Amino acid sequence: MTENLISELESAAAIIMAPPNLVTNEQRHNAEYVFLNFRKCKSPFAICRQILDNCQVHYVLFEAAETLKSALIREWSFLLDSDKFSLRQYLMHYVTTKQIPPFVRDRILQVIAIMVKRASVDDGGRDRSNILQEVENIILNAEAEKKILGFNIISNLMQEYASTVKSTDVGLPWEVHFKAKKQFESTDLKRIFQFCVQLLSEVVKNDPPYPENVSELTRYILKVTENVLTWGYISPLLPKRLIGIYESVYEADQAPALRLSDSWSELILSPQLLPLMFQVFWKVKDYDGLSHHALTCLVQLASLNGTIVSTDNIRLEYLKSYMENFSKLVSSVTIKNKESLGVSNIVKKMIVFFINDIQRLPTQLQDSYLDELTRLTCSFCKGAAMEDMSSDEERYYNDAFDNMMEAWISILQEYSTNSNGNIHECAVQIFNTYLQFHLAPPDGSRQNHENEPQEIEDNEDIDRISFKDQLQTIGMFGRIIPSHALPIIYKLLEMSTEKLKMSLQLMESRAMNISESANLDNLFEDIHWVILIAGHILCMDSDGETPMIPSEMMQYSIEQLRQGAATLDASLAVLASSHQINNVPPEIERCDHIVRIISDVLKLCVVENSAAEAKLGHFMSPEVSSTIMWFLKRWCLSYLLPVENYYQEVSPVLVGAVGKDTEGAIFVVNFILDKIYSNICHFHSEPILLRDTVDLLTALVCIKQKQSLCIVKSKSLWNLITLQEKLAPGGLPPNIRRDLFKSFVLAGVALRDMQELNGYFDQILSPLKVRFDNLVTQEGTFRANYHKEEVQKEVIDILESFIGIAKGSHMTTVQILFQFLAPMLAELPKILTFYNNYQIIVQLILELFGQCAKNMLCYLCQLDSKKLYESTLATVQAYAKCNSNKFSGETLAEENSFQDLALILDLLTFILSKDCIDLCPIDEEVVTVTASDVSLFGLNFIMPLMTVDLLKYPSLCSQYYRLLVLINDIYPEKICNLPQNLFQQLLSSIELGLTQFGSDVAQASLDFVQGMSSYFFRNSLQQSPICQAMKPFLKLILDLTLSHQINSDLMSSASTCIYALICCYEEEYRGLVDRLIKSQVDPLIADRLAAAFHNLTLNVAMNGERQPKLKFRDNFDKFIANVQGFLLVK
Amino acid sequence: MADIDDTHFETGDSGASATYPMQCSALRKNGFVMLKSRPCKIVEMSTSKTGKHGHAKVHLVGIDIFTGKKYEDICPSTHNMDVPHVKREDYQLTDISDDGYLSLMSDNGDLREDLKVPEGDVGAQLRAEYDAGKDILCTVLKSCGEEVVIAVKTNTALDK
Repeated sequence: MTENLISELESAAAIIMAPPNLVTNEQRHNAEYVFLNFRKCKSPFAICRQILDNCQVHYVLFEAAETLKSALIREWSFLLDSDKFSLRQYLMHYVTTKQIPPFVRDRILQVIAIMVKRASVDDGGRDRSNILQEVENIILNAEAEKKILGFNIISNLMQEYASTVKSTDVGLPWEVHFKAKKQFESTDLKRIFQFCVQLLSEVVKNDPPYPENVSELTRYILKVTENVLTWGYISPLLPKRLIGIYESVYEADQAPALRLSDSWSELILSPQLLPLMFQVFWKVKDYDGLSHHALTCLVQLASLNGTIVSTDNIRLEYLKSYMENFSKLVSSVTIKNKESLGVSNIVKKMIVFFINDIQRLPTQLQDSYLDELTRLTCSFCKGAAMEDMSSDEERYYNDAFDNMMEAWISILQEYSTNSNGNIHECAVQIFNTYLQFHLAPPDGSRQNHENEPQEIEDNEDIDRISFKDQLQTIGMFGRIIPSHALPIIYKLLEMSTEKLKMSLQLMESRAMNISESANLDNLFEDIHWVILIAGHILCMDSDGETPMIPSEMMQYSIEQLRQGAATLDASLAVLASSHQINNVPPEIERCDHIVRIISDVLKLCVVENSAAEAKLGHFMSPEVSSTIMWFLKRWCLSYLLPVENYYQEVSPVLVGAVGKDTEGAIFVVNFILDKIYSNICHFHSEPILLRDTVDLLTALVCIKQKQSLCIVKSKSLWNLITLQEKLAPGGLPPNIRRDLFKSFVLAGVALRDMQELNGYFDQILSPLKVRFDNLVTQEGTFRANYHKEEVQKEVIDILESFIGIAKGSHMTTVQILFQFLAPMLAELPKILTFYNNYQIIVQLILELFGQCAKNMLCYLCQLDSKKLYESTLATVQAYAKCNSNKFSGETLAEENSFQDLALILDLLTFILSKDCIDLCPIDEEVVTVTASDVSLFGLNFIMPLMTVDLLKYPSLCSQYYRLLVLINDIYPEKICNLPQNLFQQLLSSIELGLTQFGSDVAQASLDFVQGMSSYFFRNSLQQSPICQAMKPFLKLILDLTLSHQINSDLMSSASTCIYALICCYEEEYRGLVDRLIKSQVDPLIADRLAAAFHNLTLNVAMNGERQPKLKFRDNFDKFIANVQGFLLVK
Repeated sequence: MADIDDTHFETGDSGASATYPMQCSALRKNGFVMLKSRPCKIVEMSTSKTGKHGHAKVHLVGIDIFTGKKYEDICPSTHNMDVPHVKREDYQLTDISDDGYLSLMSDNGDLREDLKVPEGDVGAQLRAEYDAGKDILCTVLKSCGEEVVIAVKTNTALDK
């Protein structure tokens, strides 16, 4: 019988290993089934031993080990101790004596490790210590090959203990795993570490080069040492979910910090350890397979924390020793690119964990340490520049430089309070180096890219995003040394503007030759980087915060005035001269440096404009223009019209130059608006530049609303509005028109006088209204003309403008804007029906409603909300009517429906948010329709269009389910009141969601079921037909969890969901359990199952409360760990 | 643009150009463009440039609206591209002749019988629905002199 089985397995293995052309899919499938079946054998221990002893086919050996593994996990508690012992001895003997391929050996080692771990749960690790003793003996005394086997055993053992959250599949509840890990950690892990250290100190007694067997063994020692140092020493106080995150991070090679208890003192704080580990690295650094592990050990040791270093003295001693060894290392060798990452990581970790201690060191030591870091930073900066220019994908120095920059952020912050002169020195050096490698010769040493010019896709990250972190830190350096940095910046700007002017003059007279054009490109790149750096020195990123003038810049400006280096008059004169690019005002030397830089950038704008006007615009760089737009946006947000009482002290020059009610501010506003005008006229074929230009406009009109009166009333804004009206429909890149309108509408917010406000809006909006009315008032005409291109373009253009209006609405203006839009929104269902075959227009209409719901609805009063609801529903209904029962033969028809439906779901979700956030003033009207009614009703229309095929689009799918859960969360009763057929449809969606799609959708579906059933239970609705319709979910979800079809991450959601279902259908549940137990053939299993079900609900009150729910959840964890083992057996 | 000239409206496009020019940067995804002399729907649009300080070029991927074949083109964003006039009209199906011609009635009651039952799935669907006695609306796609029924929709009582 065994022989039959073996030969069956062998022939199945032959099929699996056969090349694809020799066997059919079905044969392969059957062969796989043979093995799957084999794994489910009951008590396969004897058979497996026979296979291991007699079979010659490696794949079958592997499968035998696999089967042993599953059987051991399943049947551990039924096995006799003596059997377990003899099996383990047998396997140990087997791997040490047999010649088997590594993949079989590793699997058997894993089986041994599982057995050891499982046994240690019962005996507290006694047996494990004996085994380790055995292994250590092998490593010390046996021949080379066995030594490595010994390390393999240790690695496997550690692996088994390392993760707890992901190992619930080995048949123990998580708590037991965790306890086993902690127990291992406090005993044998230390012993392993000690053993490795001992071996390493033997290794370093000899100098490289090492014989191959020594280096190979050292690799194993280092790997285990590294594993000990990157081990997740997690506090048992953390909740399981967090521990899971820690453990997954550990697996992803991003080791957690070395957080140890004081029981490790003797090992880690031993004076010999750090010198030894540095020495090890020193000696193996030229061995590729070794140096990385040695370096990781050092990185981990730099992150030492926890109770082991709880006193200052201990920490200081450790730090000193570490720094001493580190300095010795980095000062005596050149750091190779692959090492740079590790070295920079060491620095980063030291700063994170020891920055306070570093400041306690003697000044001299601190200074030399900072000097060392500066040197490293500069050399990595150089390396990074080289990498950028080479065509390899290597990023070692770049990443290392980023790490150093991150370390410097902390250093600069810590040292900002105690002004250490040396820091300034460091900052100057790093700042200069950075600048040097970003500028072309002769000012800098930037090299050109090896293979240029290349095609650059615009979706590739631009510099200000790719190098955001770097630039921010360089900005920080610059702010520490403004008297050094700002003069460099303005000099560079002025020089390059001069060069650019000269190039333009040359171009006007004759065509450029190749080297001149290359020079021009270099010049553009220089300007681009100088402006990027300037923007980061003068301003800080202000995402989500009020942008402010950085205090260092404010102080610097004050200081210049105080010292007489700058005056307000001179600064104003320079600012006012920005238009004149040909003469330098005499006051330039007494101009505030910040003002001088902005004036320089404005001058660059003038040069660009004059180039465009001279028909030389195509020689300008759109990249540089974009960077200028970015700079101006950033600068305006922080500096233009500053709110004085935000600051403790303000610079009279800055406030005098661009503060509230100053001529300077008005000058700058007009200047920038004119530049925006010019960009739209001259560069409208550059989509990216135009986007940045409109971004600047939006930022500008939003500046501190109250004070931007000077913006809304400026002549230049009106010029821009007039220009926009004159631009033919369809002339601008997509989305630009809407953002222009958004900005115009936003600018109105500054007007507090109602009459003025109405007047303003009337002027910008009524032309739109006229255009709209011209189109649609005469239905006959429209019907005849709607598909003409020019009519379509006009419709698109008007819809784009409407979207802009919706996006630009603000609490104070929303009433007026909605009054304007509402009558036209009401026409849109009709227009959608006309254009139902024209996708762009259909989608714009849907998007417009989405934007209205997103940006306007929450401020609208009941009456207006109702208007919007009505138009929305009519539109969704019109869409559904045009598209239901439609069969299209077009390619990508499905993709088209996907895009439309995604917009509709967006719209319905935005509508629903009204029920969460409603900021409208409370009024007397009675609420008759709520947002959730609208959402549900809308869903009703589109549900028939939502095919399973469409739900296969992941984004659409998750959006759909999110909406369902959201409605369910807010208004379960609305769902209960749905018509029966709609509710059934909903339930079938949920059923699909549980199994067909990803785990986020399964999660949403579980949430839905839980929410619904809790609602039924709380309101005693068990007898309602709706509640009855949900009954099958109890069996469904229970089956899914028992058969492992629900992802283990979702187990806790599944269990609370089952709890809620049991509360609802307790009788049903009893019946289910009874049937399941009775269906078991094996009485032993039936008994175990009955016991398990008994324990599951033991002392758990089925009252829907939180406490029993949590208890049930914990019970369920244990229940699943227990039951899955024996229920899955053949 | 404010006043739309409606007096010259005719059903035929006799003599009218099949395309009109449009600046490349103003094209839109889901819009139409001529690629390799075929009317295409733009399914992908991205910009790129030659060298960091170069000017924008538009990369277009389109599918032939009649054959579903995919075409690509790249063009400086300042240049003009030809855009086809594309018209899609819904007709009521009244009859299918023995030789496979459709009798179609437009919104304003005009009849036409010059289009055949389309090939492929749409045709099969059309015949099946017609044989089942359902009310059928045909969407006719017309561009560059070609014309074909591209989609069918059955009207249910609910829609009326």
